Amino acid sequence: ERMNLGASAMMYSGISLHEKTEYLLREWVGLYHQPAAGRDSSKAFSSFVNHMSLHGILKTDELITRFFRLCTEMCVDLCYRALNEPNQSSTRVRFQCFHTLDAFVRLIVLLLKHSGDSTNTVTKVNLLNKAYIRHIEFHQLPYHRIFIMLFIELNAPEVIFDAINLQILQAFSNILHVLRPSKAPGFAFAWLEIISHRVFIGRMLAVSENQKQAWGMYAQLIVDLFNFLAPFLRNADMPKPTQLLYKGTMRVLLVLLHDFPELLCDYHYTFCDVIPSNCIQIRNLILSAFPRSMRLPDPFTPNLKVEHLPDINTPPRVMTNFAALIQPVQLRKDLDSYLKTRSPVTFLSDLRSRLQLSNTPGMKYNIPLLNSVVLHVGSQAIAHIQSKCQTPSTSAIAHSSHMDIFQNLAVDLDTEGRYLFLNAMVNQLRYPNSHTHYFSCTLLYLFAEANTEAIQEQITRVLLERLIVNRPHPWGLLVTFIELIKSPLYKFWTHDFVHCAPEIEKLLESVARSCIQPKQA
Amino acid sequence: GVTPLGPVPLTPEHEFQLAMLERASRRMPMLNDSEKFREYLPNNSCPTKLYPQQLIPPLQAPDFFSKLEPETLFFVFYFMEGTKAQYLAAKALKLKSWRFHTKYLMWFQRHEEPRAITEEFEQGTYIFFDYERWGQRKKENFKFEYKYLEDQEI
Repeated sequence: ERMNLGASAMMYSGISLHEKTEYLLREWVGLYHQPAAGRDSSKAFSSFVNHMSLHGILKTDELITRFFRLCTEMCVDLCYRALNEPNQSSTRVRFQCFHTLDAFVRLIVLLLKHSGDSTNTVTKVNLLNKAYIRHIEFHQLPYHRIFIMLFIELNAPEVIFDAINLQILQAFSNILHVLRPSKAPGFAFAWLEIISHRVFIGRMLAVSENQKQAWGMYAQLIVDLFNFLAPFLRNADMPKPTQLLYKGTMRVLLVLLHDFPELLCDYHYTFCDVIPSNCIQIRNLILSAFPRSMRLPDPFTPNLKVEHLPDINTPPRVMTNFAALIQPVQLRKDLDSYLKTRSPVTFLSDLRSRLQLSNTPGMKYNIPLLNSVVLHVGSQAIAHIQSKCQTPSTSAIAHSSHMDIFQNLAVDLDTEGRYLFLNAMVNQLRYPNSHTHYFSCTLLYLFAEANTEAIQEQITRVLLERLIVNRPHPWGLLVTFIELIKSPLYKFWTHDFVHCAPEIEKLLESVARSCIQPKQA
Repeated sequence: GVTPLGPVPLTPEHEFQLAMLERASRRMPMLNDSEKFREYLPNNSCPTKLYPQQLIPPLQAPDFFSKLEPETLFFVFYFMEGTKAQYLAAKALKLKSWRFHTKYLMWFQRHEEPRAITEEFEQGTYIFFDYERWGQRKKENFKFEYKYLEDQEI
């Protein structure tokens, strides 16, 4: 069946691209697996390229693109046939699939390597055809394999690829963003495998010169993951597949927390914006991250003086432009003008309705807007206090336009709104920095100045619900809660809600024992 | 409780996503899907409830390989192509004075001092590992040409 190259080229000159492609692909798979292919298949490739150009494949970019697409389809078809064959062992099926897929990946790599226009070819290879994805009988395997193998080969230490490394990373994260789980749910598991693959994480996050750009791209993929999970997590009604994906997400986050805590620090705001408010542990994981150069003092140290810590005046790096998220622009203008002039008072009374979206319980408020208002007001307050050469303290934060807004929100919002508002503040309780310190003081101030016990109860609830879950717990959260139950200022133990149920009372007492122990002993 | 804001009805889009995810979960990616192809020892993970349950000690530690028997090292060398383990096995074999012959693709060790040593070769009695018959063999009066000696620093 096999003919020599020259003759075959002539024979095939009048036939369709489809047939040419099929012939060439088969030829290449054969060559790739021959021992004589040479290191990195380079020997096989040089003769194969001649063969391709004889068939006119290399004439135009468009033809190359079509060739790649047809090859991809053929590889996928082949895998589908193998996967759908009954009574085959999975090892055998994979053996068959990888046989072709790996050869195809090497072909792409070699063509990229030897083509002048190497940078945008990666994007030209539109590997995943959406028509396939919508198909209910979708198999992840071929796409998964092509993707990860291509990524690994293109990130091998080679001068040619090093030069365009950022573009390669860019191309991969673009495609992965297009194929995010909400768009291609049938690909979700393989997608998570790809973004958590050790080589992928390593290249995206560890290479220093590309760091900032690649970090942003990686953060976007994590946001995609949260966006997909959010509706299911929010309802806490998770069928098994969703639980699996959730577990996988937790593992990736743990890896990131351990190896790249700075990524979680820099993008904590972006992540918290899309994580549903009931996902305490995911959020704790993100909020617990702190720069590796830092040493955090034990929050249980008796008489810990937070305001004397050196880092307490340094603002954290926030990679999100949260002020720009305050939309419409008029709201931001009014807000800034109120912060400056402390008038008109109507701004305060209107604020609640401007944060509100609907009257449907559970969906009343614009949560991202609330989050951005809270952080914007807070960071403005810090700037204001520091411009007076002071550091935030319970007295320095009081009686200002900033505190007006917070106190007004605490009083004026209903239970749902206040819960979200307090959560937005607690999201800033992290490692020692100026935001952590300011919002810690503010929460305690709101507690002390509250005119109803409902507000105090809700502050306690928001803090406590983040502490009763398993570790990790953010440093600022612990410090704030310990201060609340320790300091006589807040008369914490005299409140009714502390004694409302025996199990809550017991719980609080056990927390108290663990933080006030040194004094009692 | 678990959902402080209360549940929100899922849209048809969400239902579709769940259905697709459920389908996909029946064909989960496997361990070797994103690993280099291994012809001889594919990664066949299967559930084990029996002893042992713990991870084996760090196999990547270099001195671990120097404690292994040569035969184990040969196995790793021939059956785990392209892995870090293969690299470490080759390194350990070199430390045990085994030398790789790039033409015969076998490992040789001097059985005695060579009878002749020139610029191009040495000649004498060698022990070598025959991967086809899987065992150590002795070869007398063998000429080891240095151009076939794999002598890269690894």
